[in-house]
Amino acid sequence: MVHTRQNQNTFSTAQKRRFVDAVLALKRSGRYDEFVRTHIDFYVGDGDGALRVAHMTPSFFPWHRKFLLEFERALQKKDPGVTVPYWDWTVDRTPAVSLWGEDFLGGNGRRSDRQVTTGPFARRHGNWTVTEAVTDGDFLMRDFGRPQAPVDLPSKAELAGAMDETQYDAKPWNSLSAGGFRNKLEGWPSRRGDRTWFNHNRVHRWVSGHMLGAGSVNDPVFWLHHAFVDLCWSRWRRRHPDVDPYLPLERPGLGDPQHGRVLAAGDVMPPWNIPLRDMLEHTSLYRYE
Amino acid sequence: MNSRVSLTYPRPAESVAAPAATGRAPDGRPLLTRRSATLILLGAASTTAAVLQLRPSGTDEPGTGPESFDETYLGRRITGVRSSDAAAGGVPAWQVAVDGRPLHLMRRADGSYLSMVDHYASYPTPLDAARGAVAELGDQQLRPHVGGM
Repeated sequence: MVHTRQNQNTFSTAQKRRFVDAVLALKRSGRYDEFVRTHIDFYVGDGDGALRVAHMTPSFFPWHRKFLLEFERALQKKDPGVTVPYWDWTVDRTPAVSLWGEDFLGGNGRRSDRQVTTGPFARRHGNWTVTEAVTDGDFLMRDFGRPQAPVDLPSKAELAGAMDETQYDAKPWNSLSAGGFRNKLEGWPSRRGDRTWFNHNRVHRWVSGHMLGAGSVNDPVFWLHHAFVDLCWSRWRRRHPDVDPYLPLERPGLGDPQHGRVLAAGDVMPPWNIPLRDMLEHTSLYRYE
Repeated sequence: MNSRVSLTYPRPAESVAAPAATGRAPDGRPLLTRRSATLILLGAASTTAAVLQLRPSGTDEPGTGPESFDETYLGRRITGVRSSDAAAGGVPAWQVAVDGRPLHLMRRADGSYLSMVDHYASYPTPLDAARGAVAELGDQQLRPHVGGM
């Protein structure tokens, strides 16, 4: 059945409650932490010489599309009426928006230890104990805008810069790709020594706390962020219907530094071992409102 | 590739503590040899902040600094040793720890480093990545068994 994902800022009180309840149910069952672990395990740097399927790589979009879909299906086993909403961070840009409300994701972390103390994911309610993480605190952390090194959410212009790209991805198929939609939206600076981060990466930095590190999935906003990233990919395809929806078409050959490190269009995608091509179109699975 | 590039990167914004001694003469030459630096590091390891920034000698690997470091940063002890064991792809590996607990680092293709604490930015050197991680840790410790790949 095709379901619909909608903007979180249109969610009714009842929709928020159902989404939150389903997420908490997954956490209780232990399934949520499996998603956290998968994301940790599949983060591979492009300087480390191994196959990359999730980050700094052309399959950044299809990998996260499948990851979200698996999460959404798990949610729907708890409540068939729930879908993952998206967070358009070019619009809902402040800590005051309803996304961070007491009845939805809760707000910023407190100053002393960045602990989230409001909303359903606050540690004190006993429903959200962080277990798969890099640091030993068992509470969810946020640090909006990183006051010690301030960062803004990406602007519409910054996102447009990615959407205007006319090619899906470009050599060298990693975090240094100067052209192509994928790296512009994933958000790595292509110039050596440049310390500016864009779009997807910048949002992780703005939320900060757990969203900054390997355990980013511990913050449920991860899913709303990536649903919007997924929507941007979908919009990009509609805007550029005549170009290859995925590159590279062929595996980089022997002698190419990316040989064995990136997936080509015809490859199978771990850990689900599904054809990557199955994730290039989503309208038979879900739609965006 | 020009190994000097890594030495001209700006400090990460998080590195607000005492600026590192450059360990260089005004003309840019290292004040210390690697051998003497190692001896000093060994001597300083049990005391306090030895902050040495030396031009890498031997192999010119971009994104690296000295062969090891051991300093106190924001009240946390950070240590790092460059392993000569070639990791996958022949990339030199670093063993980095904060207060004795391993901090897993990953490489970016430009030779910079990411830590498990900060996955969505990279730092020019392992020392910078470790400092960035410490700045993020606050009062927390690294969990002992969350490894990388």
